[in-house]
Amino acid sequence: MADPFDSALDLLRRLNPKHITQNLNALIGLVPDLTEDLLSSVDQPLQIAKCKRSGREYLLCDYNRDGDSYRSPWSNEFDPPLSDGTVPSEKVRKMEVAANEAFDVYRELYYEGGVSSVYFWNLDDGFAGVVLLKKSTTAAAKNTGTWDSIHVFEALDRARTAHYKLTSTVILNMENTTDAIGTMDLSGNMTRQIEADLPVDGDSSHIVNIGRLVEDMELKMRNLLQEVYFGKAKDVVNDLRSVTNLTEVNKDRAAHSQVMSSMLTR
Amino acid sequence: MSAIDSTALSFIENAPPGELKEVIDDIQSLLELDRGSVQQKVAPAVEKYNKAQYVTTKLPGGSGLVIVSSYNDLGGGRFFDTESSSSFAYDHTTQRASDVQSHPIEGDNASTVKSLVRDVGDHVKEHFPSLPAHGVYPTDDGIAILIVGNKYSPSNYWNGRWRSTYVYNPSTSSLTGTIAVDVHYYEDGNVRLVTEKKVNESLRSGTSSEIVKAIANVERKYQEELNRAFGALSEGAFKSLRRSLPVTRQKMDWQKAGAYKIGQDIGGGGRAR
Repeated sequence: MADPFDSALDLLRRLNPKHITQNLNALIGLVPDLTEDLLSSVDQPLQIAKCKRSGREYLLCDYNRDGDSYRSPWSNEFDPPLSDGTVPSEKVRKMEVAANEAFDVYRELYYEGGVSSVYFWNLDDGFAGVVLLKKSTTAAAKNTGTWDSIHVFEALDRARTAHYKLTSTVILNMENTTDAIGTMDLSGNMTRQIEADLPVDGDSSHIVNIGRLVEDMELKMRNLLQEVYFGKAKDVVNDLRSVTNLTEVNKDRAAHSQVMSSMLTR
Repeated sequence: MSAIDSTALSFIENAPPGELKEVIDDIQSLLELDRGSVQQKVAPAVEKYNKAQYVTTKLPGGSGLVIVSSYNDLGGGRFFDTESSSSFAYDHTTQRASDVQSHPIEGDNASTVKSLVRDVGDHVKEHFPSLPAHGVYPTDDGIAILIVGNKYSPSNYWNGRWRSTYVYNPSTSSLTGTIAVDVHYYEDGNVRLVTEKKVNESLRSGTSSEIVKAIANVERKYQEELNRAFGALSEGAFKSLRRSLPVTRQKMDWQKAGAYKIGQDIGGGGRAR
């Protein structure tokens, strides 16, 4: 019989991704033993909190959570406060601060709004982190949407290089509700992975390397999402029902193949 | 019913087109049950799912697909088909029909039902290329017309279903109902399109050909609107969420954007630790 964890992931790949958080909680209720494995491997839409110290918004995920508290990337403090919350080493925190500033610029360039947060943590042979970006369209718009990017990476030290492993998930939920359309809900998530060895000359090159990896990955995924959401999904609808009478379609096809065969035999 | 059972049942209700078996397999593995026990547990949900999704089946000896729904439910696990004027037993677990018996069309609307079976059939032949089925059933307040088209391509990680439901009410000459589309794409991800459009048309004569003309019109208009809506979402919400390139048409200069700061703070040459 299949492994229950694999079955849980398979189920989450099938049930409506719009309700991922609800489905995840239902699964955890069904099989409590899988709670930790599922929470650490299934990406959910990100929640936004406000940093009490800086007044800036930041994003919540499993990687900046300690118990019931979340760490702000701007202040490095937990809310609700924790005296012994897990924070990165001083050296890694310095990189984290720089990464947050860099991705704040990136967010403004590509998202022109939204919220970004970067969290780093120490590994024995390097460090790891997550880059989070979230943007929602304004409620006044006729069609609405929410984009969540979750980029988890490892940077493992080698001589003068680092080995990067990046797993990126974009959760994109969109809705169009008008009289002519009724309700149209187009929601989902896609995940891609990449590995790369890149030269490292000082801690600052990690930010440059991770920045470029994430930037390239997001461009690739944006194109992929565009293709699947507005190309593939639309094609399937038109495979289910043909606007044109099928008699016409078949006549055209027959005429076309006749032309082709007469050209070939000429 | 226990909380566990109701969770499992909600998973069944939300199964994508053509993936009911896989969802049941997952539930079986999660609950560590044998096949018989899981089938018994999910049976009520599977029956509900089949009827709501207009599951189709072949009658023994028949060639076309017939629909299983609440509109042609005779109770006791039997359903009727107006095209073949027969009734049949349907096993929701094995998805097989058996024990076909004669079931003539009766009632005030019998002749309209007969015409509609033929005319809706012609419409379906012209517009539903993949695994189409239709049903025309007398109901308490008129005539129900169901159309379903499925396309399953699990090897390419996508499946889809179109369901049209109409009820023609002769006393008000109105055609009401819904058109629903459900598409699932799941290669390296999970993307779902779920749409629903309410239909409410007033007819003049209520002849079979007028009803089918109205249906063809409503469906064509809706499909054209839906095709346009993909473009509207792509050009609207999608574009405003994330640009494909910054306004400058240049990728970000990461050297400049923040890396300098860490260089000043802690000096170059150090390695992450």
